[in-house]
Amino acid sequence: MTAWIQTHPVTFAGLIIWVLGILWLLPARQVAQPRPKIPGLLLTAVGIILLCSSVGKAQSELASEVLFWLFSVSALLCGVLMVTSRNPVYGALWFALVTLSTCGLFLLQSAPFLAASTIIVYAGAVIVTFLFVIMLAQQGGALGYDQQSRQGIPATVAAFVLLGAIVMTLQMKPAADNAAAAAGVVAAATPATVGNPLSATDAEHPLGSMKGLGRSLFGDYLFAVELAGTLLLIASIGAIAIAPRREQGAI
Amino acid sequence: MSGDVERFLVVGAGLFVLGVVGFLTRRNLIMMILSAEMMLHGVSLTLVTFGRMHGTSEGQAFTIFTLTVAACEAGLALALVLNLYRKSHSLDIQLWSRLREPDLQSPADEGSGGTPLTERDPYKGLPKLTPAGRMPSDSEAVRNS
Repeated sequence: MTAWIQTHPVTFAGLIIWVLGILWLLPARQVAQPRPKIPGLLLTAVGIILLCSSVGKAQSELASEVLFWLFSVSALLCGVLMVTSRNPVYGALWFALVTLSTCGLFLLQSAPFLAASTIIVYAGAVIVTFLFVIMLAQQGGALGYDQQSRQGIPATVAAFVLLGAIVMTLQMKPAADNAAAAAGVVAAATPATVGNPLSATDAEHPLGSMKGLGRSLFGDYLFAVELAGTLLLIASIGAIAIAPRREQGAI
Repeated sequence: MSGDVERFLVVGAGLFVLGVVGFLTRRNLIMMILSAEMMLHGVSLTLVTFGRMHGTSEGQAFTIFTLTVAACEAGLALALVLNLYRKSHSLDIQLWSRLREPDLQSPADEGSGGTPLTERDPYKGLPKLTPAGRMPSDSEAVRNS
């Protein structure tokens, strides 16, 4: 742990600065006036950039590098703004931006179908449903319970300890790989294609193509697709059964 | 290749952790569910990255299943939220902290703004008349009757 902090001070500093930014932005109980957002936003952005720049190597192509920074920083920054927004309507809109940025990251990883379907499902259906519920239930705008965070400091610190553990594992793994390679232990070629041969990618079915993805879904995972369809059906029936009816009184 | 993969994994982990922070700190039911959806975004990004790392379509197939489950979860959760709102006329999660066992401590400090479930305004939602004239005092009302 201390060795990791000593060898990766930038990562640790990024985590700390990010936590401070979130704690600044979180709705506080005792403060009558909301704090100004600019210092918290700056701290958060600096923390995100430090953290992302200290992990992994930069890509050779300038375009993909620029796009990665654009999408990742906007995803994480909009996520922070969503978590700390005092008005749930703004929170839902920030979440839409998080979804769009995540879809940009999907596109960078050659998953165009996934990006399109995520935009359709989240931005088109989920966010609109959330906004409808907010309109039904909370017409008064921001209320008292939105101005207070519940156990802000312990929750944030615990969550970022988790993030620190994940980042530490990611940074220690290449070193372990190098040590294994130096010791002569060559990792076997990934045998992921053995169990699911139809999910493998080749020249005819490149990664992210509709053809390859459809072959994987309806070949290797046909049973799971049927199960997912059944799950959707049952969930829609359940939502209709749970939702309050008109004869039970207005919402 | 491997250095590139790790950056995407860090972004996915960051989205997940932000969802955790939101789920734990917000008191609005809708914001809690939105935070859970953001955790699912982080998981999706991680799955896609793993799929690209191994060069198979499995990561993207898993992500489609994640999307399905997220859609089901959003629909069911919003129906539940509407039910809870019909009972308490508020989206505050603190009102439902009484659901714990009676001999347990309160999970968070009560009385921090949220009115408890039993003391809500009984006239809320009923039609209101425009007040006219002066409000009769209790003794006056007794005398007139």
